[in-house]
Amino acid sequence: MGQTLTLSNVGVALQRGGRQVPVVENISLSLAAGETLAIVGESGSGKTTTALAIPGLLPEGATVSGQILLQGQDLRRLAQRALRKLCGARIGMVFQDPLAALNPTMRVGAQITEAIRLHLGLSRRAAWARAVELLNEVGIEGAAARAADYPHMFSGGMRQRVMIAAALACDPILLIADEPTSGLDADLKEQIFTLLARLRADRRLAVLLISHDMSLVARHADRASVFYAGRCVETGPAASMLRSPRHRYTCALLRAAPRLGGGVPAAIRGAMPEPEAFAASCRFAPRCDHAQAECVATAPALTAAPDDEGHIAACFYPATTPVAGMHVPSAAAPSPALSGESLRVEGLTVRYRRGYRSGTARVAVQDVSFQMAPGECLGVVGASGSGKTSLAHAIVHMVPYEGRVLFRGEPLSTLRGAALRRMQLVFQNPAASLDPIQTAGAAIEEALELGGLRDRRQRRARATALLEQVGLANSLLDRLPGTLSGGQAQRVAIARALAAEPALLVLDEPTASLDVSTAAGLLTLLRDLAVRLGVGYIVITHDVAVASVLAHRVAVMQNGRLVEIRNNVPS
Amino acid sequence: MGRVAEAIATLFFLVTLTFLLAHAVPDGPAYAILGLKISPERLNALNTQFGLDAPLWRQYATWLWHLLHGNLGFSYLQTRPVAAVIGAYAGRTVVLYTVATALAAVAAIGFGWLHGVFYRSWPGRVCSGIELFLYAMPGFFIATVLGMVFGSWLHVLPACGMADLHQAAPGLADRMAHMVLPASSMALFVTPWLARIFAQGVHEEFSRDYVRTARARGVGFGSILLRHVTPNAIRPMVTMLGLSLPAIFSGNVVVESVFDYPGIGWLLWRSAVAHDYPVLVGIVLVLGVATMLGNLAADLVNAWLDPRVTYAE
Ligand SMILES: Nc1ncnc2c1ncn2[C@@H]1O[C@H](COP(=O)(O)OP(=O)(O)O)[C@@H](O)[C@H]1O
Ligand code: SF4
Ligand SMILES: [Mg+2]
Repeated sequence: MGQTLTLSNVGVALQRGGRQVPVVENISLSLAAGETLAIVGESGSGKTTTALAIPGLLPEGATVSGQILLQGQDLRRLAQRALRKLCGARIGMVFQDPLAALNPTMRVGAQITEAIRLHLGLSRRAAWARAVELLNEVGIEGAAARAADYPHMFSGGMRQRVMIAAALACDPILLIADEPTSGLDADLKEQIFTLLARLRADRRLAVLLISHDMSLVARHADRASVFYAGRCVETGPAASMLRSPRHRYTCALLRAAPRLGGGVPAAIRGAMPEPEAFAASCRFAPRCDHAQAECVATAPALTAAPDDEGHIAACFYPATTPVAGMHVPSAAAPSPALSGESLRVEGLTVRYRRGYRSGTARVAVQDVSFQMAPGECLGVVGASGSGKTSLAHAIVHMVPYEGRVLFRGEPLSTLRGAALRRMQLVFQNPAASLDPIQTAGAAIEEALELGGLRDRRQRRARATALLEQVGLANSLLDRLPGTLSGGQAQRVAIARALAAEPALLVLDEPTASLDVSTAAGLLTLLRDLAVRLGVGYIVITHDVAVASVLAHRVAVMQNGRLVEIRNNVPS
Repeated sequence: MGRVAEAIATLFFLVTLTFLLAHAVPDGPAYAILGLKISPERLNALNTQFGLDAPLWRQYATWLWHLLHGNLGFSYLQTRPVAAVIGAYAGRTVVLYTVATALAAVAAIGFGWLHGVFYRSWPGRVCSGIELFLYAMPGFFIATVLGMVFGSWLHVLPACGMADLHQAAPGLADRMAHMVLPASSMALFVTPWLARIFAQGVHEEFSRDYVRTARARGVGFGSILLRHVTPNAIRPMVTMLGLSLPAIFSGNVVVESVFDYPGIGWLLWRSAVAHDYPVLVGIVLVLGVATMLGNLAADLVNAWLDPRVTYAE
């Protein structure tokens, strides 16, 4: 059986700042029908660029070199028109963030029929019937009625199913899915991966899957390729390669992924270079603990692993022992003796009114009670929609609630000013919670001024110290949020919260918008801060592994109720 | 509910302000009606006849009371009810407005496509230059130049009036010919910035993820522009069109005056010159209501264009 897709020595140069800059180079991959090949790697490593190069969807001014064969046909030699005939017909694509990737003003049925009518020439009616069939196939209930709905009327997971249905509309032979599950919670991730696996088997699809969830990849992909700084550094059978990776970057990536009972994930120090700064040698060398003179002098070639068939890695000093057991022991953080009471929540209920007139209300949180000791970290986990964020917002008094919340012995509703500021909330999306026209320094200083620090020079010094505490250089003081990376913005938001010297920090999905290695860095920081400052956390997260890294106890929410609080098993 | 209350409050404020301004003019309406050389007795008689000698608050209260009963007052100049006066002129302006707005929308969409698709390359820059140039032109200047070129020099189009007075019953063709210059002048006032807003929308929408999805589906450029980008890009323009009714109206005053087209703008101009303030205030009220209806219409069109928009009752 020939390969469905073969890339040989594919390179892509993108127009950046008026210049063509090589962003991806020397990529060789192959993918057979009925097979799933996963591409993993930090964001910016060139995964999306590679995927877009296949159907010729790169932005204007991009140049592609090498060979891209779809069932033996070189796509790079095809005329625009011929290539367009393949897009949507032989090649289906699913993108990250289905809310943005679907047209908001077009019925989902119409978005599915678009390709059908274009490529298969079906009548409007027949195409619609086919769209309903497809929605059924991807597991949308009441498909016939829902086909007429608009994208915003679906939940995140359902939207992604719609995307998949649209991509499969014309029975493609190749499905390219670019981070189809980022932003979804663990359950939904699993469901989408299972769906893709089923479709792949049913239709003998070749699936090119981009994801940074290593454990899902290990379970669902046949083979995996690891990308770093525009190069493919390791390829092999997914399960065995991720169990015993050879390239040092793959090892570091795996250690950075939070795992249940895996201890504190180890952040990879430094950052991936921008394409302008790509070196000719091993690009991971500046961050690698095993780098030798050789690594900075020349680029390692992809070489086969001794006893794993099809497993190749480009590393001069590959790892030889499996990584699964290699977790860093828990940070030197003996849990503080937890006693006393910092927060007590009794019978907390949050209702949202539906409309002005209709008396119906949606109960987002129902009758939740728990208490926390000073310095304790409580993880709150649950699927999206289970009421986690409403609970957090009620605790910091941002939404009206019924029941009692006592913070350090006082009812929350009676607290004012400084006492109230001892509890701080850090939002899920740091970029959105920072004022876009206020520099990082000004944001922190504002919080300090609110706290009563009048002297400007002292404020500046304290802001610098806070930045340092969250691991940021003071050169960031004058930067606007828009110029910060996701991880940096989240750290600034934390520094601003710490300016109030809080006793309790409520963190809403602190790592959801960050990639694995950045997230690991942040988790390490939070763990550190807890020990050094004795601050307690409530960590809201859909990722049980994140909770297990930080929390002493984990509370599980389901449909607005707290169904379980358990002690976190120390690793 | 809130929207209606807000609208009423705004209207009330607007109307009161206009009433006060109309009464703040130095010589008062009576001079305007009878000329400056009238004898004091006739002035007094007229003031008594129209109730102009009462204290201002009383005039205001009476007037408001009548307004609440749907009575807009009485025109000094034309000696008939304001409602009748406005009614006689409004129809022509509505027709002119509709034609001008349709022209402007069509021109803005065509121009905006060109500008939006080539936003960063030279055709886009040329479009942008033309828009800024037209935008900077004063309205009366555009109207006068159009009138001179097409009316006086080329003699291809009538440059004044609303129909040929030598004909007993002006036909539709004749009325339309008289409409061309005023309507295109009015359209020219607003087209540049409507086109600009639309072009920006087109440019932005082209960079959205769903466009990439459509391309990945094999949809060609034309369909992407028509079926995907335009319905999304047009919403800000529709909102602006609704909000810009007053701006179009100020253009309308200029156009109707320059082309001597007897509509509401023309009436406003005449009434202002003549201090016929009941008519002035009446026009302001009608315009206020029209503006609010315009905004409402824009919202409704947008709600129809964008399924995500729903209004709380
Ligand atoms: N349209 C673009 N113009 C210029 N540079 C881009 C563009 N898209 C991506 N890049 C750059 O190309 C590199 C690879 O990005 P990408 O393929 O998106 O990585 P990934 O999908 O692995 O996150 C990054 O350095 C990114 O900044
Ligand atoms: S080649 Fe050298 S620097 Fe690169 S990953 Fe391997 S050991 Fe590290
Ligand atoms: Mg990507």
